[in-house]
Amino acid sequence: MSGWWFIGSLGEALFFAAVFLLGVFLSSVLITWQVMSPSTQVIKVFHGFWLFLGVSLSFAILGVVGFWYRVLKVVTSDEHREVIAQRRLVAEPARKQSQKIPPPNIPDLRLFTDSPGARLAFRLPSHLRENSGLVATGIFAMAWNAMIAVFIVYAAGSLFASRTPWQLLLLLIPGIYIGVQSARLFFRSFVRTIGIGSTTVEIEDLPLFPGRSYRLEVVQYGRLVIKKISVRLVCEEESTYHFGTDVRTERQIVYSQEIATHGRDRIDWGYPLRLECQFSVPTEAMHSFQSMHNAIHWKIIVDGEANRWPSYSRNFPVVVHPQPQPNRTSAAS
Amino acid sequence: MIRLLGLQPTYMPGDSLEFEYRVTNVDDASIVAVESSVCWVTEGKGTEDLGVHYFQRLSGNSLASIDWSIAQRVACPLPLSPLSYEGKLVTISWCVRVRFFLSDGTELMAQQPFYLGTVTRKV
Repeated sequence: MSGWWFIGSLGEALFFAAVFLLGVFLSSVLITWQVMSPSTQVIKVFHGFWLFLGVSLSFAILGVVGFWYRVLKVVTSDEHREVIAQRRLVAEPARKQSQKIPPPNIPDLRLFTDSPGARLAFRLPSHLRENSGLVATGIFAMAWNAMIAVFIVYAAGSLFASRTPWQLLLLLIPGIYIGVQSARLFFRSFVRTIGIGSTTVEIEDLPLFPGRSYRLEVVQYGRLVIKKISVRLVCEEESTYHFGTDVRTERQIVYSQEIATHGRDRIDWGYPLRLECQFSVPTEAMHSFQSMHNAIHWKIIVDGEANRWPSYSRNFPVVVHPQPQPNRTSAAS
Repeated sequence: MIRLLGLQPTYMPGDSLEFEYRVTNVDDASIVAVESSVCWVTEGKGTEDLGVHYFQRLSGNSLASIDWSIAQRVACPLPLSPLSYEGKLVTISWCVRVRFFLSDGTELMAQQPFYLGTVTRKV
């Protein structure tokens, strides 16, 4: 804990104290003026009064929360603060006695086991990273084109009224170009997604335990000629860190095991490609882990190469639990 | 000073961790608060995360009855996870930490690392 750290924390605490005092001062002036002399009040009720009061009170709340957070940072140890944070404001609902308490800092299994499989026990959820680009492009294209449509209607109205809105027309030219390009990009991604077809992965059991074997079934739908399809079990470390004002996330694969591979084949509607395979989690494998800035993920990755389509890779996260410990009391006896 | 009472600094999930701590060359009257904790920290490229498994804070009247020339013994069962791990981007380390807060504002801290589980390196 250096002197600069102390000065910085003190400065932050003073800033938030000033924000709190400003909020309290503005709110009290506003309320007192309204109560004592409503006729001379500049900001009348229903004409900005509630908005101004809301802003003032939010200053006060922001200030008090920020001030106490900074004070706690200075006067309490890291461990004490963590313990305070664990005692949440809203208590978690009590678990039923039949419900097993999951091991700490391991992703919740319910997210992975809520979809039963057709042949094996569970159908794994697909990781959304590859679809997020498509969704983001779609939302942008829709919002942008809706905005451009409103401006076009406005410009058309002006033209019918014998007025030529030159500035708006000049702005519409690049606007329409961006709208067309974004829609094109979206539909190209969309066709690529539905053209290759969906991939489903079913697994025999969850959670996975080190040293045990599991059956897996991968089904590739669509209408295409596959050049190669491979299935891998991967362990990936993930770290999030601050770099200047940026927040960056770095990922690194630390373990990769090929489970199955399949060569050239034709897939058609109603005749999907089915790959049945078996794999083992290494005996000395680290379990899945999730904390605020760091994580260890285990996943099944399906990589495919198809004729006339770009190669693709789809992720299906799984959860690995620590090796169950033998009953120590019985072992001792 | 912290001393783990196990024969070796490797524990399995569910084991009982026993340790003792003491402080020397400090006037007992100047001790304002004492915190002992069993926690894990992540190290490596990412921002450091901290998880506290066991925490005890002694202050006020509860300190008065303690003779600091005698080691204070603490025992707590260890959790199932996270296990100690040394990866490429992420390292998870377990330790016992003790902090003494003195009346002049000084803070004395000692920590003793230990391993939880036998998975200490990447697969």
